[in-house]
Amino acid sequence: MMDESGSAFDAVEQGPETSEGGTTTPRAPAGDPSGHPSVAALQTRFGSAILHHEVQSGDQHVLFVDATRNREVLEWLRDDPEQRYDLLVDVTAVDYGDGKPLQVVYQLWSIGHKRALRLKCELPLDGLSIDSVVGLWETANWLEREVYDLFGIEFKDHPDLRRILMPQNYAEGHPLRKDFPLRGRFSRAEQTRRALSQDYHDDYTPEALEVGGAPGLAPPEPEHAADETEDTP
Amino acid sequence: MGLRDADGTDELSLAEVEALGQEGTSEGGLLGFGGPTFLTTKVDFVVNWARRNSLWPMPFGTACCAIEMMASAASNFDLARFGMERMSFSPRQADVLICAGRVPYKLAPVLRRIWDQMMQPKWCVSMGACASSGGVFDVYSMVQGIDTIIPVDVYVPGCPPRPEGLIYGLMMIQEKIRGESLAQHYSLRAEDPSTVGRPRANDEEVAALSGQFGNSTQQDHLSSLAQTQRPERSKDLLP
Repeated sequence: MMDESGSAFDAVEQGPETSEGGTTTPRAPAGDPSGHPSVAALQTRFGSAILHHEVQSGDQHVLFVDATRNREVLEWLRDDPEQRYDLLVDVTAVDYGDGKPLQVVYQLWSIGHKRALRLKCELPLDGLSIDSVVGLWETANWLEREVYDLFGIEFKDHPDLRRILMPQNYAEGHPLRKDFPLRGRFSRAEQTRRALSQDYHDDYTPEALEVGGAPGLAPPEPEHAADETEDTP
Repeated sequence: MGLRDADGTDELSLAEVEALGQEGTSEGGLLGFGGPTFLTTKVDFVVNWARRNSLWPMPFGTACCAIEMMASAASNFDLARFGMERMSFSPRQADVLICAGRVPYKLAPVLRRIWDQMMQPKWCVSMGACASSGGVFDVYSMVQGIDTIIPVDVYVPGCPPRPEGLIYGLMMIQEKIRGESLAQHYSLRAEDPSTVGRPRANDEEVAALSGQFGNSTQQDHLSSLAQTQRPERSKDLLP
């Protein structure tokens, strides 16, 4: 909040705060790697890329992974026959506020081995960019769009990085960030005006709109079955 | 009403009829544009009787209020008793829009479009706290009362209102129709597209009424700028 002496614009004058100030996201004490077969395997294979390991809620193993190597680690987890994390349950993000880095969370499930694993990548506020995993799991497409929409994290090489929940003409930022004011940044009158000027075509790709199609654009009927019936004896 | 010319062939436009009435006798004449006459009051009575006893609702149910709306239509409460024989799921065959539930900004143009597709005469019920005022959802994503999007005739309070509440609101619509007159057609049905969809009060009036933390219609400067840190926007891909 503001102090008494300063104006509301002081925060604007001071410029951005980054996570350089030694602020870190909360972490539990290191867990026991022997409780989960994938943890020790990851630590031996990737070494320094595995930053931290902890156990939450009794049996949920959480690994903090170097954000620049997330795709490499996840690809190995999906393809290695001992791991086979073939189901990406969720991609989401956490903002702890106060300039702390944002966490991108990957929740994995191995159908064959019946094992769950959670990976977290920390991104500083001045570098909100991470490799997309749409190439590994197709389901990451909309999940990463949601994270981009609500947290402003850019996913590199994402095929279609657009807003998915908020309107396409939304220009107030990313609502789930801790620095986002509860009621948005614009006045209610301006929000209403922008909402009414939405164009629903913006929510769809040109290919998706073609599926519905105008009647005149329907593909021509195939050459008639009458010719074939002549050939049949 | 098919009002016909002296030769009985050309149908007059309503504006011409109005002009005809005004240039008639000083007491309003047969058409009654200067005041009610026997003919116009009886026609009004018949038309209003027909209108108020055959209101077809267009359900716009977005949340828990819609459950109560469905209960109102079901046999225990039975909206059909009041002439709302069926829910009309096409806006073109509906007379009264029941907006039941919260409306996010992304849905605002949809609601507006459905209202525009309904034919006159049409009425609107705002059912529940969220549709009427935003309710507890005083947040970035929620329309703060659908009267900022479309004109509303009756607000039904409650969270959600019981079926009795909705039925009472619809009976208020019926009472409102009872008092209408065809002579007031233009004033009752006026919809200026340039003003509808905007809050009536201007920004200064709203700011004067706002408390320290803003109100649901407009935030004051504190509520939008009091942040612990400036947003980092350099990498954002804003549209």
